[in-house]
Amino acid sequence: MTITSTIRPPAEELLARRNLKVDPIVVTENLWKLYYAGKLEVPALRGVNFKVMPGEFVSVMGPSGCGKSSLLYVLGGLAKASRGRVLVDGNDLAALGDAERTKLRRYKIGFVFQRFNLLPTLDARGNIAIAQHIHGDGFDPHRFEVITKLLGLTERLKHRPSEMSGGEQQRVAIARAIINEPKLILADEPTGNLDTQNSEIVLSMLSQLHKDLGQTIVMITHNPEAAAYSSRVVHMRDGVIVDGATAN
Amino acid sequence: MIRQLVVNNVLHRPIRTIVSIIAVAVEVALVILIVGLTSGILQETAKRIEGIGADIMLQPPSASVFIAFSGAPMPIKIADKLRELRYVQAVAPVLLQISSSGGVDIIYGIDSKSFRDVSSGFVFLEGHDLEGPDDILLDDWAAKAKHATVNGTFRVLDHDFHVAGIVEHGKGARMFVSLATLQDLSGSRDKASIFFLKCTRQDHTQAVMDEMRPIFPGYEIRPLKDFLSLMTATSLPGLDAFIDSMIALAVSIGFLVILLSMYTTVIERTRDIGILKSLGASKAYIIRTLLGESTFICVAGIGAGILLSYVARVLFLSSFPTLVILITPNWIVRSALIALAGGLLGASYPAWLASRKDAIEALSYD
Repeated sequence: MTITSTIRPPAEELLARRNLKVDPIVVTENLWKLYYAGKLEVPALRGVNFKVMPGEFVSVMGPSGCGKSSLLYVLGGLAKASRGRVLVDGNDLAALGDAERTKLRRYKIGFVFQRFNLLPTLDARGNIAIAQHIHGDGFDPHRFEVITKLLGLTERLKHRPSEMSGGEQQRVAIARAIINEPKLILADEPTGNLDTQNSEIVLSMLSQLHKDLGQTIVMITHNPEAAAYSSRVVHMRDGVIVDGATAN
Repeated sequence: MIRQLVVNNVLHRPIRTIVSIIAVAVEVALVILIVGLTSGILQETAKRIEGIGADIMLQPPSASVFIAFSGAPMPIKIADKLRELRYVQAVAPVLLQISSSGGVDIIYGIDSKSFRDVSSGFVFLEGHDLEGPDDILLDDWAAKAKHATVNGTFRVLDHDFHVAGIVEHGKGARMFVSLATLQDLSGSRDKASIFFLKCTRQDHTQAVMDEMRPIFPGYEIRPLKDFLSLMTATSLPGLDAFIDSMIALAVSIGFLVILLSMYTTVIERTRDIGILKSLGASKAYIIRTLLGESTFICVAGIGAGILLSYVARVLFLSSFPTLVILITPNWIVRSALIALAGGLLGASYPAWLASRKDAIEALSYD
């Protein structure tokens, strides 16, 4: 089932095809993120410069502790940058307060986590619908139906997370992430807790979202096979990007 | 949606929810019953005093409106003086004695004839009026509570009385003995605690009181038609404070249980809070969710508390038939509001804590 006719077409991609100027959806300039262990300053990001164009599917790879997750949290507005600039759809997250970053997350960003992070007391339907509720536009039954069909969840909507497999839970998490048509999907090791078969299903779905909807995705992964689904791979080491920082 | 989340969250931990609901229910029931018991006893006592049918009550100087606390310092001869006043039809001296054996009871020592003249007499359900010095009359509630029967023996004030009759309740006390006998038993010969006066017409009450005041300076002279309004918790020193303390104690129970319950909820649901934050939920949204859970518990607890109050009243009255517990809509609403306010206050701190949680820390919470 194609959903391009029912969901906003990727305008940025169309513009790009006509050689019109397109602004990056994510820009980081000299981005630093410092954590503190007592008085000790621990830099997780050390001046990251990075761009993501609309409609890109970017994988961020690197060894544990290289700052991938920190980068994702800063891009998603969950953590504040210590130094530098982070622009998401033109909004400088470093200059925004907590409430404004929360708003930005609500309207422009969808998260997919390694541990699925579904609300255990809600069924699949509730877990997807709550994102719409928080977004504030109310429940859109048409979009809900399209998304749940696309992700093969129609028969599992009345099940709670504890009654679903990891693959199903991750598909619910993806549905929740895209239900509000965010500009950017941030996926943190989305296949980290899945077996090979479910990993392939989830990655295929992310890939389909990217191809069919022009969905911009930034995915953190350890797995080169997972990274192969993306259109660009960025390598990080010791808090800096060592390869693939900019789109071709 | 938020309603569904609230309901599902509350039902997710049924034991904790039930304990919290019970705590709120106990809080509500305590408030309703304490207030109901004090106001019920006061009102019932006042109605009984009014039920005597007298127009005026004379008490010693500085005597309390709660006549049980009156001593017996007045000479019985005052009755003769009172009878000489214009518009006075009858005067009944009454000696009061409190018995604390098997519950607190007020016993009226009365002179049958004068008391009958003032009160138009008892309505006898069984037996007859006081005849011998050891006779006692019980009202129907007291007879039922104490399992007393006519012609049986009833021991009170360390004295065996003969139950001469059972009368309809509502004539001042629940037990009546001869004035002379009570004077002997209490060592108050020729004394009375209180004088009830019946005027020739009720509208002469003020005139009689005006005439009494210069004769009995400093004495408490009260019209009985206003007695009900005088019998309030504020008239008894300390009662108001006692009721307030009990309400505060009840509210504290509800407040602390809700605080603890919601605090545990926030700790347990740290990850969920992180998830909501990652979805872009504002602080207000998270606070609203937690306060919604607290409101749900409070509303259920209030319902259970009101039900518990009525059940407790039935149980109390079956064990202590002379008790009166007045459950009024006014105090039902007040106790509900008190419980709701206490619950919301108790949930406020955990809700505030939840709203301030760091999203990343919350998401990595196990």
